[in-house]
Amino acid sequence: MHVLIINGSPRIKALSNTDKILEKFTEGLREGGVTFEQYEVSDRKQWDAIRNAFSENRNILIALPLYVECIPGLLLEFLETVPPKTDDTKISFLLQSGFAEGIQLRCGEKYLKILTEKLGCNYGGTLVKGDNFAIRFFEGAQRDKVTGPYTAMGREFASAGSFETEACRKFTGPEIFSAPMRLMIGLVFKTVSKKMFTKIAESWGCTKPLDYRPYQ
Amino acid sequence: MVLIVNTTSDRSITEELKKQIDEKKIDAEIVETDSMKISPCIGCNYCWLKTPGECSIRDDYEIILKKITRAGQLWVISGTALGFLDHKGKNIFDRILPIATMYLKFVGDQMRHVPRYDTRTDIGIIYTGDPEREYLEEWTRRAALNFESSSLGVYAKDEIKEAVSCMC
Repeated sequence: MHVLIINGSPRIKALSNTDKILEKFTEGLREGGVTFEQYEVSDRKQWDAIRNAFSENRNILIALPLYVECIPGLLLEFLETVPPKTDDTKISFLLQSGFAEGIQLRCGEKYLKILTEKLGCNYGGTLVKGDNFAIRFFEGAQRDKVTGPYTAMGREFASAGSFETEACRKFTGPEIFSAPMRLMIGLVFKTVSKKMFTKIAESWGCTKPLDYRPYQ
Repeated sequence: MVLIVNTTSDRSITEELKKQIDEKKIDAEIVETDSMKISPCIGCNYCWLKTPGECSIRDDYEIILKKITRAGQLWVISGTALGFLDHKGKNIFDRILPIATMYLKFVGDQMRHVPRYDTRTDIGIIYTGDPEREYLEEWTRRAALNFESSSLGVYAKDEIKEAVSCMC
């Protein structure tokens, strides 16, 4: 099997969490004997090449971050330029987000089914997973802990040819957290997370509090 | 204040809106974006972690963002494509992130960003074309949750009267 992979993140490849996820996911594809070609929507110079590849390939995977409950505006802009297909092409999606719960991604997932139909293609399912915000801030083993599990999903995709398997459904994790878990995570938000974000902000040269109001 | 952002080049919609808004003496501002430069969000996270509350993209969206921070309602007039808002309409929502902070909390059973400002901006859509309306309604409700606000609904361009009845 050969797969066209489109990274639909608007963030440049070097900083793209979706790209870091794809690095691990494609390791699994390779292990499963699948070949692939990958393009980045964030680079407008690639758009002609992506359109050609979209037209020529019949097995497509679009990986994307959730932006305000749906697909990013830049990816939408690109897809608006793609002619619908009529050749039995299958599109599968890898949808990731910062928020951790599965429920946060369901509205976006629902649109991906509509989108597939509008593009004249068949739906190959969506691999849904949150809690990926910090990938760009992690390196080495810490990053691998977050992105590593995607290798098994690459193998799963290589074997099934879609994300419509029980293993892929389970990969999402909890739809919502239990009340005791929310209490605990809420405490982490108020303490550890605040400290971590402040530290990152300082390292980025931020000189204002993170709740600063520039327009009041 | 009611903020109306027209991302289409169809001025007949805003002309009709203006007429009805004036009749009802609604405090509203209309922004036409067809001649404005509004780029897509690039997910740099600067608005959360480097220049809190300010977008790193220096374009005309800043005009809209400033108005949103004091608007009780945001209405986006958008074209549609692929069953959804077109990219110009979606960009207005993607670029709204600076009104949220990096901080997180739970609202009900789901994570949310802590809002940056005290104003809560309800959102409504007026569309041209032929979207998957049921989905668009669901999406608008979900999008509003992110801003701790409510959906004002989704209206076709020939339902302006119904949309105006929700403006106050």
